[in-house]
Amino acid sequence: MGSLNKETIQKGLDVFQNPADSKLITHLNSCVHCGLCAESCIYYLATKDDRFIPARKVDLVASVYKRYCTHIGKVFPSIVNARKLNEETTEEMVDLLFGACTMCGRCTAHCSIGVDISFIVKTGRTMLSNMGMVPATLQSTVNAALTSGNNMSIPTEEFVDTVKWMEEELIDEINNPNALIPLNEPDKRVLYTLNPREPKFFPLSISAMAKIFFAAKESWTLSTAMYDVTNYAFFSGNNTEAARIADRLWKEMEHLRAQTLVLAECGHGSRAFRWEAPNFLKKPFPFKVETSVELIAAYIREKKIRLDPQKIKEKVTLHDPCNLVRNGGILLEQRVILNHFIGDFVEMTPHGIDNYCCGGGGGQLAMSEYNERRMKIAEIKAEQIRKTGANIVVTPCHNCVDQLSQINIHFNLGVQIKTLAEVVADALILD
Amino acid sequence: MCWYQILALVSLVFCVGHLTFHLLRLIRLGKPHDYAPASGKVGPAVQYSFTGAMSPGKKESAYLHLPTYGAGIIYHLGTFLSILLFFILLFVFPFTGLFRWIFSVFLFISVACGVGILIKRMVKKGLNDLSNPDDYISNILVTLFQLMTAIVLILPFMAPVYFIVVSLFLLYFPMGKLKHVLYFFAARYHLGFFYGRRGVWPPKPL
Ligand code: SF4
Ligand code: SF4
Repeated sequence: MGSLNKETIQKGLDVFQNPADSKLITHLNSCVHCGLCAESCIYYLATKDDRFIPARKVDLVASVYKRYCTHIGKVFPSIVNARKLNEETTEEMVDLLFGACTMCGRCTAHCSIGVDISFIVKTGRTMLSNMGMVPATLQSTVNAALTSGNNMSIPTEEFVDTVKWMEEELIDEINNPNALIPLNEPDKRVLYTLNPREPKFFPLSISAMAKIFFAAKESWTLSTAMYDVTNYAFFSGNNTEAARIADRLWKEMEHLRAQTLVLAECGHGSRAFRWEAPNFLKKPFPFKVETSVELIAAYIREKKIRLDPQKIKEKVTLHDPCNLVRNGGILLEQRVILNHFIGDFVEMTPHGIDNYCCGGGGGQLAMSEYNERRMKIAEIKAEQIRKTGANIVVTPCHNCVDQLSQINIHFNLGVQIKTLAEVVADALILD
Repeated sequence: MCWYQILALVSLVFCVGHLTFHLLRLIRLGKPHDYAPASGKVGPAVQYSFTGAMSPGKKESAYLHLPTYGAGIIYHLGTFLSILLFFILLFVFPFTGLFRWIFSVFLFISVACGVGILIKRMVKKGLNDLSNPDDYISNILVTLFQLMTAIVLILPFMAPVYFIVVSLFLLYFPMGKLKHVLYFFAARYHLGFFYGRRGVWPPKPL
């Protein structure tokens, strides 16, 4: 952590200058310290550590705002606990805002006033980012995306090899030489994206989606230049870097002249592009953007694909990714899909917009220094899964898949973790 | 008008002036401009933000803490009633009739709620750690304001003390967290805007 000179402090405080609208000032002035948000947060629920009460995270940012931007905070700082932006404050900010929040927004929806807690956490992360205090592990993930084009620094050759391998597998599996995975083809209807975890660790999910595209007779392509749906700069709080990452995908869409950008099963990637990219770049989309969840649901509704209801006999439950559901409004589509062909589907309690975060969001999976804490808070999700009695946990998010897979081992759940595309591909009826 | 009523009036002008500054700043900064195409409607979501989303069945901050939630509702009603009565007492003093007894009894109940909330803040560790002097000052001033309103309704000779307490309350009001009377509405609006555009609120039946 660098030393805090005047210039560094000013960079941090810049987030309070010239806000774009009244949202920031509103949420910085709204918390009444009732403490009733505590039980809405998995960090507090799992640890009962008072430091993890969501309002404490809001207060960290608000206390700095008060110290530098309000009369009472300047004149009588101790009355409103207005804090200087110094080493002690920033250390606590890094630990709580990066290390103890997945920005899941569950507390926001349940706050007695309506404070957008995850927005304030994000603002605090932007302060720290301005000051060069993003945890190195998270920043290296962002840097990888900026320098190599994908957050896992997968060389293009390796990516192409993986895709070609999956293509061969798919052709073999369905015994049809036309089941191709097109690369860099212009003027297709769909440009599909991937979470780099797919080519790196879960290549079968690429062939699963390719199989669905094949069944739906979709006109689609992947790009080798820019396929990464993720945007970890959204989590690091660096809006300039987030804009650069989003811009690359935007430009690739224009380059390949596709009509619709389909975002792979990635909660934060979907949120960062669908909802944040136009605001990072200050322009509306000139093309259509949708998630693969919406697309698969549309295929089912339009009868473009058929699924075998006898194929999956096990009990299935669904994990709702926070960024896709609570922060993205994709709530019904995954249920339309699962209810269409899963005979034994059971919801978690709570679910939907009230669902608990798996604990892997907010960049937590990238920040290995908080691994122990991440697995501790995961006990909430483990218990939720255990109570359903399900054998398969489906989730439309590769980050969640990663965290849930670790939960599965850590808590000895004995379940299978699958993406939506994987279960759909398993049950596809091909003509 | 007596000196203490004039003092209260001056404090009121100070309070309203400050709150107006906050309100004008919010209006000047305006609502967010979202370049992302909406997948839901802001209007019904903002409406839901102020209604359904606030209901005890929907918020964990309410249904997991029903005694506190109930006490908070009564306490807020007591504050609004006290403010209303202040405007009346400023010009019509003393307040007579049966209603002063009804209001007074209600305000004593509300004061008890305020004291309960204060004690909870003092003894519950997590809440205590979260609190700063402003939380205590605000609670004590509001509770005193309600208490003096309840007393002055039945004991009009307490008017000087009542108006001094009111003045202190009004002078402090825009300084600390009591100004959430204004920011609460802005926060609920922004939440409705955010969830509305994304099609999260009003909630879709599953
Ligand atoms: S519930 Fe909302 S108002 Fe209450 S302490 Fe938590 S963030 Fe603040
Ligand atoms: S956003 Fe999620 S993880 Fe962060 S404080 Fe709120 S509930 Fe906890």
